[in-house]
Amino acid sequence: MVQDNFLGNYSSCVAARSTNRAILAGSQDGGIVTQLFAFALEEGIIDGAIVAGPGDEPWRPRPMVATSVAELYAARGTKYNISPNVSFIKEATRSYGLDRVGIVGTPCQMQAVRKGQLYPVGLRDVPDKIALAIGIFCMENFPYQSIVQLVEDHANTKLENVTKLDIGKGKFWVYTERGAVVQLPLKITHKYEQPGCHVCLDYVANLADISTGSVGTPDGWSTVFVRSKKGTDIWSKAMAAGCFETKPIEEVKPGIELVTKLATEKITKNRKTIEERSSFGVGKGLRNPYI
Amino acid sequence: MSKVIEISPTTRHEGHSKLVLKVDDQGIIERGDWLSITPVRGVEKLAVGKTAEQVPKIASRVCGICPIAHCLAGIEAMEASMGVYIPDDAYLLRVILQCANRIHSHALHNILSLPDMYIPGTDVKINPFTPEEPVRSVAKRIQRIREIAQTIGEISGGECIHPSNPRIGGMYKNLQPRAKAKIYDLAKEGLVLARDHMEFMIAVFRNFQKRDWAEVGGMQVPIPDDLGYHNQGYMAADPLYGSSSLDENPRWDPARWNETRPWDWYMGEMEITDDYPEYPIGGTTPKGAKAWPQMEACTGVPLYDGQPVEVGPRARLQVFKGYDEKGTMAQQIARSMEFPDAFYKIIECCDALNCSAPVLADEIPQGDGSLGWAANEAPRGCDVHLGRVKDGRVQEYSMLVPTTWNFPTCSRALTGAPWQLAEVIMRGYDPCVSCATHMIVVDEDRRLVAEKLIQ
Amino acid sequence: MSDKITAGHVHMSGCTGCEVAIADNYAGLLTLLDKYVDWVYDLTLADVRHIPEMDVALVEGSVCINDKISVEEIRQTREKSKIVVALGSCACYGNITRFCRGGQQNQPQHEAFLPIGDIIDVDVYLPGCGPSPQLIKNVCVAAYLLLKGSDDQKALAEAYLKPLMMLSKRGTEACFCDLMYDVIDQGLCIGCGACAAACPVRAITHEYGKPQGQRDLCIKCGACYNQCPRSWFSFDVVNQYESIMETIDAAMAP
Ligand SMILES: Cc1cc2nc3c(=O)[nH]c(=O)nc-3n(C[C@H](O)[C@H](O)[C@H](O)COP(=O)(O)OP(=O)(O)OC[C@H]3O[C@@H](n4cnc5c(N)ncnc54)[C@H](O)[C@@H]3O)c2cc1C
Ligand code: SF4
Ligand code: SF4
Ligand code: SF4
Ligand code: SF4
Repeated sequence: MVQDNFLGNYSSCVAARSTNRAILAGSQDGGIVTQLFAFALEEGIIDGAIVAGPGDEPWRPRPMVATSVAELYAARGTKYNISPNVSFIKEATRSYGLDRVGIVGTPCQMQAVRKGQLYPVGLRDVPDKIALAIGIFCMENFPYQSIVQLVEDHANTKLENVTKLDIGKGKFWVYTERGAVVQLPLKITHKYEQPGCHVCLDYVANLADISTGSVGTPDGWSTVFVRSKKGTDIWSKAMAAGCFETKPIEEVKPGIELVTKLATEKITKNRKTIEERSSFGVGKGLRNPYI
Repeated sequence: MSKVIEISPTTRHEGHSKLVLKVDDQGIIERGDWLSITPVRGVEKLAVGKTAEQVPKIASRVCGICPIAHCLAGIEAMEASMGVYIPDDAYLLRVILQCANRIHSHALHNILSLPDMYIPGTDVKINPFTPEEPVRSVAKRIQRIREIAQTIGEISGGECIHPSNPRIGGMYKNLQPRAKAKIYDLAKEGLVLARDHMEFMIAVFRNFQKRDWAEVGGMQVPIPDDLGYHNQGYMAADPLYGSSSLDENPRWDPARWNETRPWDWYMGEMEITDDYPEYPIGGTTPKGAKAWPQMEACTGVPLYDGQPVEVGPRARLQVFKGYDEKGTMAQQIARSMEFPDAFYKIIECCDALNCSAPVLADEIPQGDGSLGWAANEAPRGCDVHLGRVKDGRVQEYSMLVPTTWNFPTCSRALTGAPWQLAEVIMRGYDPCVSCATHMIVVDEDRRLVAEKLIQ
Repeated sequence: MSDKITAGHVHMSGCTGCEVAIADNYAGLLTLLDKYVDWVYDLTLADVRHIPEMDVALVEGSVCINDKISVEEIRQTREKSKIVVALGSCACYGNITRFCRGGQQNQPQHEAFLPIGDIIDVDVYLPGCGPSPQLIKNVCVAAYLLLKGSDDQKALAEAYLKPLMMLSKRGTEACFCDLMYDVIDQGLCIGCGACAAACPVRAITHEYGKPQGQRDLCIKCGACYNQCPRSWFSFDVVNQYESIMETIDAAMAP
């Protein structure tokens, strides 16, 4: 077990991608999330998974309880705005009848899930039903209106026509149906970020069973941290079943160093923000949620 | 010369209540008053002026043991006033929830009653929490039955203690097929356990019925054959679910309901003249203290046809199934007999439920101030809520809850029993006292009620 | 492990839903009673009429200050217990009884109800309406380890209970408004959805990712506030979630 101040505890870290072409076709990076859920669903490890499904407006996600592979497919890809996935964590065990719940979410959503398991104030009978919590790396998130403005005002593209959004290599990428690609420098995106992200002290979902993101590995691949006992167990089963093609993280570029670098930068910057908040006013500070 | 004994607070039931007993030289009760001493949270009054949507949330929190009954009766009284008809599948979900609550509640009550009972064929009283057999297996079975019931309640109702799924006009969510299948499987498992459990409980109660004496605080107390008998009537609106003023043929009649204040009904001020420090556990109230039931009682006294009536499992079986056995043990037995039917009903509703049908009414009128009522058969008996809604806001709200009906009836049933068994009789009613906090609807309104329904 | 702790349930103006939540540990309740807790007082489940000395008192409901018996009982509870736990939202925050205003037969003068923390010092908050059986179990096992465990176990239990102890010092108010005041208005909300999941009356929806509270429906239970990862969050404790849950599971193995 590796214990790292910024990357959290993990039993292994690898570069991976799904061996299933159909999954890869619509997923954001190596299709890790969709592949793991599809495998867990087929194996009966989970009865369903809470994912960010399609919403009423283009690229506006709506949390959804997926109980079939088709539904998982419909929710592939990153939507860079808020999907309150945790809001379904109890309902999944109620009118959906799930006994083993999968959930994907940002690091802060993993924090909500674990806090909820340890301190289930309003989550009766939920704690022992979390069967697989997959975290996705996250530098920041955006309100929906920010995405509208970034894509429509800055990238001059109608949101309906967008096929993929991505943040990587220091840019915000907008891909369209006609194959056009627009890149925006992150200098532009910063103003649009969700303010709550500026006090966030987790980049790689330290509290997930398994966490994954694009940073650290080549295009089409993902960096995967296998963390908890549950995560280790499920990962090894999925490997044995041939779900993933992997490479040691040491053998890929840019590798774990970049992940560490970004995690350190994010957390250091946000610690400073928390510090600044404490003397925000005149003799008055803003709240620090961490006790 | 009769003596006055007070048992306060009474134990092994929900809420705070006490027994004030006038007994003869042999310790036989000549007149007993059983009354609530739970502070009155004034739930009906606090609902007035709020939106009808809030009523089920508030009403549910009157009692955590039969929250479902209060939630559903509250909603349905509002719906009755507003003229809201709910979709069939919403109704099915409500019935499933109702049955689930009944099962859990009855099973919990078994735990509370068992310490008065004996392991059949022995003089050993049952401690439901002992790790020793055969009791441990029974306790585990009770908890498993409760777990099944609460889980079914949670799936159909969102939560099992205070359900979040029911709403004015139907339900928030229908079930997904997986959830329906889960309920079905649980009910099948529960049914098997419930049958065994029913037989066990009936054997235990029959055994008590056959006994000549019971041991209470070191005293050997004779058990009379007519323990808990009374000659009051019975009231029930349905074998299982309920009835409301929207029904074509409503099975409860506000015109037959009348109410007296405790001042008119309970005993006046008196001094406690005898005490038993050895009465379990903590003794009776010391001599010299004062009791004043008519001032202390926290509830009113509702009458049906001018008399107190019994509500609850026996009343349901008496009214709808011709069950005619009297007394405390018969009441306990009737309760146990309700287990299987509740499970059968859940299975039946599951079969009938269409998971893709809507569960919320298309149209929800906001009310013109007409009076509506709903009677729900709570675990402890008929729970009648009455209300008026105008433009979505509550103008009037009243709850006639089971234990309120049973207070005066049970008080009558105490007569003729040794005072040491008064709590045993009381527990036969599965008292749930916190909810018994309702107000009187003034006479003028009551007449209006009757007129409205006769029209 | 050494002998059991003594604990009891004190019923103030609550609905007994909190007590049902205790019982809803099902077979776990039997395990708790077998191994860790002597249940010395509980009008609903046991035959004891008067409040005894105990290690842990779980108090359900708010206090009607117009009722002499209630006031006397809450005072006695404090005097006779080492640790007082406010069980459920009525005891912590008033919950639905915050709306009481009296005027109802047969005791129209019963109009003022306060969370127990406004009358006595409270050590631990265990909010929720009803509180979850799992949180009750966690707190019971932690209280046992705190009073009877080894040094390591004591430290773990203390860390676990610390946020709940801090809550009891924070005050007796919590409702959807507190999410607005302490989280959203402070620029801390991250739209995770935990608040909406926690709300027992479905008063919270998410509009464009952020919580919208229907304040008319809110019963002031404080579940949303306390479930939120941005109201309070302890890395010390949550980073150890696996080992804490394993410890509790091991303790609860029959
Ligand atoms: C807001 C945000 C910021 C991110 N920032 C980074 C970063 O800085 N560095 C990095 O390496 N990776 C980041 N990621 C993760 C990355 O974009 C991919 O989501 C991740 O690598 C998983 O890809 P995949 O191919 O394995 O998953 P897929 O198979 O494509 O599945 C992705 C899953 O995530 C769910 N999802 C999509 N959007 C959201 C959302 N908004 N909230 C919750 N769940 C969602 C989908 O429903 C789907 O189930 C971010 C993701 C998000 C949502
Ligand atoms: S940056 Fe942090 S707070 Fe913001 S969405 Fe990502 S994980 Fe959540
Ligand atoms: S917190 Fe909820 S369950 Fe507990 S007493 Fe109050 S209303 Fe009842
Ligand atoms: S919004 Fe819901 S969870 Fe929050 S305090 Fe109100 S009732 Fe409780
Ligand atoms: S739980 Fe807190 S952080 Fe999460 S959405 Fe609600 S208010 Fe925001």
